[in-house]
Amino acid sequence: MAWRSNSTSTRWWYQGTKATDADIGICDPGVGEWGPMTLVDALFGAFALPFMARALIVMLVLAVVAGVVGVLVNLRGLEFISDGLTHAVFPGLAIGLAVGGTAGLVPGAAVAALAAAVVLTWLDRAGITSDAAIAIVLTAMFSVGVIVVSRGDEYASELEALLFGRVLTIPPESVVPLILVCLVAVVAVVVTMKQQLLRAFDRSGSRAVGDSALVLDLVLNAAVALVVVAAASTVGTLLVLALLIVPGAVARLMTERLWWLFPAAAGFAALMAWLGLALGFAGSVAGGVDLPAGSTIVAAFVAGYGIVLLGRWIADRRLATKAGVPQPAGTAAR
Amino acid sequence: MALTPSPVLRLIGAAFTHPGGSGVTGLDLTVEAGTALALIGPNGAGKSTLLRGVLGLVPLTAGTMELGSVEVRGADGASGPPVPKHTRNGMIGFLPQSSELDPDFPISLEQVVMQGRYRRLGLLRWPGRADRVAVRRALETVGLTSLAKRRFGELSGGQRQRGLLARALAGEPRLLLLDEPFNGLDQTNRDALVDTLRALKLQGVAVVVSTHDLELAKEVCDLVALVNGTQLAFGPVDEVLTLGNVQECFDGVEVELDEHTLVVPGHEGH
Repeated sequence: MAWRSNSTSTRWWYQGTKATDADIGICDPGVGEWGPMTLVDALFGAFALPFMARALIVMLVLAVVAGVVGVLVNLRGLEFISDGLTHAVFPGLAIGLAVGGTAGLVPGAAVAALAAAVVLTWLDRAGITSDAAIAIVLTAMFSVGVIVVSRGDEYASELEALLFGRVLTIPPESVVPLILVCLVAVVAVVVTMKQQLLRAFDRSGSRAVGDSALVLDLVLNAAVALVVVAAASTVGTLLVLALLIVPGAVARLMTERLWWLFPAAAGFAALMAWLGLALGFAGSVAGGVDLPAGSTIVAAFVAGYGIVLLGRWIADRRLATKAGVPQPAGTAAR
Repeated sequence: MALTPSPVLRLIGAAFTHPGGSGVTGLDLTVEAGTALALIGPNGAGKSTLLRGVLGLVPLTAGTMELGSVEVRGADGASGPPVPKHTRNGMIGFLPQSSELDPDFPISLEQVVMQGRYRRLGLLRWPGRADRVAVRRALETVGLTSLAKRRFGELSGGQRQRGLLARALAGEPRLLLLDEPFNGLDQTNRDALVDTLRALKLQGVAVVVSTHDLELAKEVCDLVALVNGTQLAFGPVDEVLTLGNVQECFDGVEVELDEHTLVVPGHEGH
């Protein structure tokens, strides 16, 4: 038998009864049936399959993005803008898909991201800080997307694909463009990194140095938009959001040293993506539990965040008892 | 001192106005190298606006500002902040009120001080050896070398304030602007700051410090400008810090002068 990813859904595809070596690759357990899958098979063997390898490569690239762009999103407090962009891109993807099929995904997302970036920047500049107003706009965008998708025949699978992407069916030819776009975003942020950090730490200090707030914001927002557009069509809008936000938040819990934030976030994202993919594979193929890949990865991210949060809480408590002074969790313990 | 008097900052009929309309007007003052000017006035008098205006963060809406050899003219009714080009040459150091900064930000004291070099580095260059030397020297000047690796937010209020002073000094400025630097400082940190400012004046740095602590103005500064929405008086400390002037400036506020606590008439009169 062979494990292939379904071309239209995100699900693991269990097919046939007899496997060829090419289908299984080094996963071949040497027995007629897979039987109980070993840990090694799930964690390493599975990635010999081309679609699994592609998924892992894309996720590792995005982990680097999470490590650079995501940490800045956290330090600048841009979670809401990122959320806004991903929500706004959703109807763009849906309309693009409805108009031009899969080829319409990226143009649709790009147009929507551009429009959203302009609107969100305008809201910000106009001093409209009402969360309610922004939330209403975003909810409206999201429902437009759902309405567009629901007009199609395969409503459920389309919706899931747009939200959680097609991690397992990333076409080989779209891997390189994705990497290039991510590279552009990462380079743009790295080049302006010290100014971005100064602006995150001290807004008026940044302006006093002579940095243009508009330019810095545009560079960072554009980087976020690029990543969202590039990745939303392959890994889905919610997974992009998780990648941009969760690793940065985890890194903040793990270290208070500025330059450690970036490897910490990237490392966390890479580890969780890998574990999520392996878990989804093991669950679906050997466990008989159909685990969608994209949402399994998101679940791994959130679980990882929970574990780190708990660890941080315990560490804070220990330090507090050692010092003999009760300290609230999350504050710096010396 | 061998320093020839050269104006580092000169304001001629200047006004700085926020886009919202509030601001400070009628500014005529000159600060020379190696001298210190105290901006005195009650809260909301426009002291911070003046400092931010010099930095280019609040538009110059009337008059002229000269920074060294650079002259900036205020356009009447100008809207929006001007691009603060004149701050790019690295001559101004600025010490903001440290309460404006997020204490949870994961950044070390050393890294904060390095930010003082960014104006010299520009967008693309990264700090090099000369910058690290300047950071070390600035930390020595304020006496915080041993805390260099500490997270900024962990420091006490006074240490943070000295750290921000080190940041301003790391840029090796000719003009140092300090916004209420003595607020909430204990005696030790206050004395350390006074000593540092005196040493900087000897090195030829021009200092402008906003404060409502009149005693400190007398200790450190040569010149005083009384400000309350507009400039009320400007000149040497002894001439300007008279009871009459101070009463006019602080209408109905309690102030300390010559170890006497004055309740300025206006408070009693009503």
